[in-house]
Amino acid sequence: MESLITAAARALEAGDPLGALNRVALRNDAPSLALRGIAMAQLGDLPKAKTLLRSAARAFGPREAVARARCVVAEAEIALVSRDLSWPAKTLAAARATLGQHGDLANAAHAGHIEARRLLLIGRLDEAERTLAELVTCPLPPASQVVRELVRAGIAIRRLTTKDARAALGRAERAARQAGIAALTAEVESTRLVLDTPAARLIARGEARPLRLEEVEELAASGALVVDTFHNAVRRRITVVPLGTRPVLFALARILAQAWPADVSREALITGAFQARHVDESHRARLRVEIGRLRAKLRPLAAISATRQGFALAPRRTQEVFVLARPVEEKHATVLAFLSDGEPWSSSALALALGSSARTVQRALDELARANKVQSFGQGRARRWMTPPVPGFPTGLLLPGPLLKT
Amino acid sequence: MKRSAAEIVREYGPFAGVEAAHGVTYDGTHVWFASGDRLNAVDPDSGKIDRSIDVAAHAGTAFDGRHLFQIAEDRIQKIDAATGKVLSTIPAPGGGGDSGLAWAEGSLWVGQYRERKIHQVDPGTGRVLRTIESKRFVTGVTWVDGELWHGTWEGEESDLRRIDPETGKVLEQLDLPAGTMVSGLESDGGDRLFCGGGSRGNVRAVRRPRRG
Repeated sequence: MESLITAAARALEAGDPLGALNRVALRNDAPSLALRGIAMAQLGDLPKAKTLLRSAARAFGPREAVARARCVVAEAEIALVSRDLSWPAKTLAAARATLGQHGDLANAAHAGHIEARRLLLIGRLDEAERTLAELVTCPLPPASQVVRELVRAGIAIRRLTTKDARAALGRAERAARQAGIAALTAEVESTRLVLDTPAARLIARGEARPLRLEEVEELAASGALVVDTFHNAVRRRITVVPLGTRPVLFALARILAQAWPADVSREALITGAFQARHVDESHRARLRVEIGRLRAKLRPLAAISATRQGFALAPRRTQEVFVLARPVEEKHATVLAFLSDGEPWSSSALALALGSSARTVQRALDELARANKVQSFGQGRARRWMTPPVPGFPTGLLLPGPLLKT
Repeated sequence: MKRSAAEIVREYGPFAGVEAAHGVTYDGTHVWFASGDRLNAVDPDSGKIDRSIDVAAHAGTAFDGRHLFQIAEDRIQKIDAATGKVLSTIPAPGGGGDSGLAWAEGSLWVGQYRERKIHQVDPGTGRVLRTIESKRFVTGVTWVDGELWHGTWEGEESDLRRIDPETGKVLEQLDLPAGTMVSGLESDGGDRLFCGGGSRGNVRAVRRPRRG
């Protein structure tokens, strides 16, 4: 619309943020502020980008609702990439509605994708899926198609439906090639890596072997009795006994399952499940009580029989017992799992994503930092935590071309 | 003030490889429009691009009978229409905030978008001779039969308005359908006004009402 704005927007779209800044660096009108914000975001200065986009949204007049909404969407994407999950989702939803009402369907879809990525990140899969389904179908720019398919793949991976995940990744790959953006192709590749590297360990009859996600899926569909350390549950197909709130019972179930078909001595059960150093008579009494409780819980899936030296698991309706464990078991594995996406997280965002208290997360992070497994930068509220970059999902800032159009 | 709905008589484009149409002008046979990195000459009968000139073209376009004038970044380029060579440049009055461009009476007329202004500029030096205030964001500008018309785009609404060149008062207004953008504007000297479609990448012909 305006000459320099057009020139700067063209530079940004061509992947030249410095060229864009050169043209509008000294201007403080609304479109220039927005362009400077997006350029700074692409150059990695997210706090500055956020401030600029917020000023731009204020500077656009009350009649320029679409331009304002685009600034809000860009700011929301920056918040997502900064793992600022407390950013107001309602503001994004309102911006998305405004864009939709004014026929800017491509940017409305982009806003919907950001919302779905946020929901996926905090594990609200049904809502993420609903958000994607709500989006008006319109011919999307290839870069947006990649994001949509990556979100679909992410949902499928978390749901353990690997066929859907691979199909979505195939579509993402084609769209990424069409978009010709190297960062997107890399993103698709790193998601594929998640599918191709071992996702779990299978422990059976005292022996362990790595499992890919597909094999985990097959295991869930098989008739075997599975002690699942990801969900702290014991299950056989759709019969699930959740033990998440009973860590002692789950520990006992796991020890018994790992030894199956052999039995386990009372001493081994007590030291393994109660973390007791010396075994005395009170422990034996407690073991009897806990085994009784576990027996009642597991009744639909297995019996627990007393043997001469201890107890043994006796599965019902199957002759297979497996323990499904994390590839590498360590303390605070769930915290590490979130951080392994390679993005900087605030401890409060982690607490929100994990559904635990900020204090618990902070303790875990401090412990992990002492073991050199995570690193932090920044101070106070701006402090962020990350692991050395590991392929994960989702990352990246898109701020696509259509956001710039006036 | 007379106000009516704009009658769109024809649409040109979208054209392959054209992301946006900025400035628009008419040389008597072809409609020229600026599309970022080139100027395109469209045959108004066939609707096809006959020729193009590779030149930075970010906003308004005008024609003085021999030369094309084209705004790029913060300057106005004077281009030999026959060879496509840039002969000279002058600074644009809006310092890059410029939108529309027209030629009339030996002067260039430049729309300054967000400032809602139209400047009359000396084509030799770029000196601002006078400034007309508008009420809306100014996109394309054109003169025909002593009438000054300009396009607007504000709040997702566009119209073409004829204004009093002395006072800026709106004399006549043609409303485009909601969401239809007007970037450049040019008259064919008759009853057609050509409008650039902005990010839609097309050009529309709108009927200019006959008076009296």
